[in-house]
Amino acid sequence: MAETEYSTTTELPVETVWAFVSEMDQWATMLTGYKTHEKQSQTDSLWTLKGDLGILQRTVQFRVHVTDWSGPARVAFELEGVNEVLEGSGEFLLTAADAPPDAARSRSGPIVRLMARILRFFHGLVHGRVEREAEAGRNPGAGGSRLSFRLRVDPGGPMAPMVNKLMEPAMLVAAENLCGRIIAHLEGGSAPGPNQA
Amino acid sequence: MAAQPDRWDLEVDVVAIGSGLGGITAAIVAHDRGKRVCVLEKAPRMGGLSGYGGGEVYCPNGRHMAEIGVEDSDEATRAYFDFLAAGFNHPELTDKLVASYRSAIDYLETEAGVQWVPVKGLPDYYYPDAPGSNTGRYLSVALFDGNSLGEWQQKSWQASPHLPPALTHREMYDWGGLGNVTQWDYELLAERIGNDQRAMGAGMMGYLLKAALVDRGITGYTEAPVRELVAQEGVVIGVRAEREGRDFFVRARDGVVLAVGGYDHNPDMAAMFENMHEWNSSTQPYFHGDHLVMAGELGAAIAAVPPTNLGMFFGYNIPGEEHEGVPLYRSSWECGCPHAIWVNRAGKRFCDESFYKDSQPALRSWNGHAQAQENIPPFLIFDQNYRDRYPLGSFTPGMDFPPELVTQADTPRELAEKLGIEAETFEQTIAHYNEYAAQGKDPDFGSGHYPWTQRLAGDMSFENPNVGPLDKAPYYGVKLVPVGVGINSHGLRTDTHARVMHLRGHPIPGLYAVGNSAALLDLGGGYQSGTSNMRAITWGFIAGQHLAAGS
Ligand SMILES: Cc1cc2nc3c(=O)[nH]c(=O)nc-3n(C[C@H](O)[C@H](O)[C@H](O)COP(=O)(O)OP(=O)(O)OC[C@H]3O[C@@H](n4cnc5c(N)ncnc54)[C@H](O)[C@@H]3O)c2cc1C
Repeated sequence: MAETEYSTTTELPVETVWAFVSEMDQWATMLTGYKTHEKQSQTDSLWTLKGDLGILQRTVQFRVHVTDWSGPARVAFELEGVNEVLEGSGEFLLTAADAPPDAARSRSGPIVRLMARILRFFHGLVHGRVEREAEAGRNPGAGGSRLSFRLRVDPGGPMAPMVNKLMEPAMLVAAENLCGRIIAHLEGGSAPGPNQA
Repeated sequence: MAAQPDRWDLEVDVVAIGSGLGGITAAIVAHDRGKRVCVLEKAPRMGGLSGYGGGEVYCPNGRHMAEIGVEDSDEATRAYFDFLAAGFNHPELTDKLVASYRSAIDYLETEAGVQWVPVKGLPDYYYPDAPGSNTGRYLSVALFDGNSLGEWQQKSWQASPHLPPALTHREMYDWGGLGNVTQWDYELLAERIGNDQRAMGAGMMGYLLKAALVDRGITGYTEAPVRELVAQEGVVIGVRAEREGRDFFVRARDGVVLAVGGYDHNPDMAAMFENMHEWNSSTQPYFHGDHLVMAGELGAAIAAVPPTNLGMFFGYNIPGEEHEGVPLYRSSWECGCPHAIWVNRAGKRFCDESFYKDSQPALRSWNGHAQAQENIPPFLIFDQNYRDRYPLGSFTPGMDFPPELVTQADTPRELAEKLGIEAETFEQTIAHYNEYAAQGKDPDFGSGHYPWTQRLAGDMSFENPNVGPLDKAPYYGVKLVPVGVGINSHGLRTDTHARVMHLRGHPIPGLYAVGNSAALLDLGGGYQSGTSNMRAITWGFIAGQHLAAGS
């Protein structure tokens, strides 16, 4: 199983970030490899992404089911490959910038899991856990927020351990990019750039 | 051809165009003989197709064979090369190749730190039938530590989508070959990937790139495609490359080595030279036949060997799979496993599908009455027995096939109808094949005859590792398309010093071609795994020496 985590901070208040991330249409195209997504219900959506294994890229379709939605703090989700043996889960956490990173975990939220699953998709199964934190030189004052993504992906099949390792670098970069793009967009007001690979 | 610029951006003695085995070997040898060298590479990573392939190097009667207790001789080697050539070679080039390959391969070991390892027990393609054939003649490399490449670590090929990363040849065969791919130790491979340990072609090129770019400090540029040669009165004196969107003129005081591979990604050239209506490739998308264009402008002669040499596999693209921004085509090796065959549109088998040296020429069969290539397209057919045990590309048992790629049916007849194959003949073909396959036999085409196909692609738990009946529903079919592997039938005509020959029969001063850019006139009408790498190393070595000697 591959697991990755990335968090970043912003001076923007939690409510502002939540208003953006709680609506998937607003950030979907910021996902590296994004091709399409389709909302099927309040909790379910169908995504097509081009995943990167380093040595090759593969377009994958998967379903995302939001399992926990506790605004403005946490979204959790699960994902499942449509034609692939692939499953995973993830979460998207929002806390006050000076709160401990796990502060929102007690509250449940489906978007977090959705994000986490997406990130896991990118990283593939990884033995162990990859954690990164970027403060990007920011020094958030009171009222700032911390945005964190966690993602776990389990590709199936006998080659899973190898596939995990191959996915890991791109999954981490995708997590960084997604957080970074969301914050940059909110801070700078730039339009979410399509980044279809 | 470019005119001499007012000012050179860089002045060296030797320019190697292309960073595969041929270019890097020439660069190392010329450097070691006191020359200033520059390597220019079109791709964003160094290593070429050499760093993307299997990395087997054919080295008969080599010094490592004693380690595995195999005896060999130069006479046997030459007999086998003559068998492969089938009279389509230029004997003086074969003589030079056979006289030089060991020195070249040994040089990379003693002077460039390449750790060769013999692949124990792996037979020649035509062993034991062909004169001079033997086993244990292949070299591969010990695992290479990618971390030792410094700034080149990320700018070199770390693995290939065609081969399991970080797996050595010895392991591949000891773990049961391609037929046992689902049982390999992927935990071990994952650990190695995490540590950037490289094997096969990527590992081999790791050693060479470290020797050239790190240890020797040879100047190298990626994303620097060479567009034209610069010549003065018929003598090549430099190149015009592109770097960062601008012309980049490099003077080459002693000469230029064209080591740019073939033309797999130039559809016009590929279709014309390989006589196919369609061409796809398993190689990275950087092979456009630039050697033929650039040297052609100077009057270079093009030469060819029969397309039976190698040139073409048949395979497929799994929808949605890409590499380097283009669809990833895979060669089909499925018929090495039991329970799989190829048929043509008439519903007939036409070759030993487990042995590509038999299937490739058969695919080219021309029906003079029908005015058509009767075996194209071939269809890969397998049953649920196959599906339960073996993969199709990256789809291991249990994973759903994409319906755009794989057609499925409950009976052979229904499958034939869905695929547009003549159904009645197809049913007869399956019934006839099964009758013998149940006993591990293939009296029609001799599938499973060669130890090489058994060991590489078969399932060694079967009496005949390459043969098994198709008798368990559902049945599956895949329409296959031509897939090049970068080794083309046409290339530049070269002499025994690797110099490019003019149409008028004299060498073009200052211009060399090695590896796949040079026509395979040394090998002639046949191919044997590892000879492509072996000849790239050898002719790179010869070119480097000749350039340094002051051509
Ligand atoms: C899947 C696969 C497995 C293989 N396994 C084996 C094996 O086990 N043993 C074997 O002997 N052979 C194998 N081969 C074939 C073998 O890899 C190649 O034939 C061999 O490496 C060719 O070496 P080369 O020096 O001619 O060129 P390459 O290694 O192909 O290098 C040519 C380089 O030139 C660059 N280039 C192209 N145009 C320009 C330009 N205009 N300017 C600058 N650079 C340019 C290319 O980007 C490339 O990097 C395999 C091939 C494939 C596809």
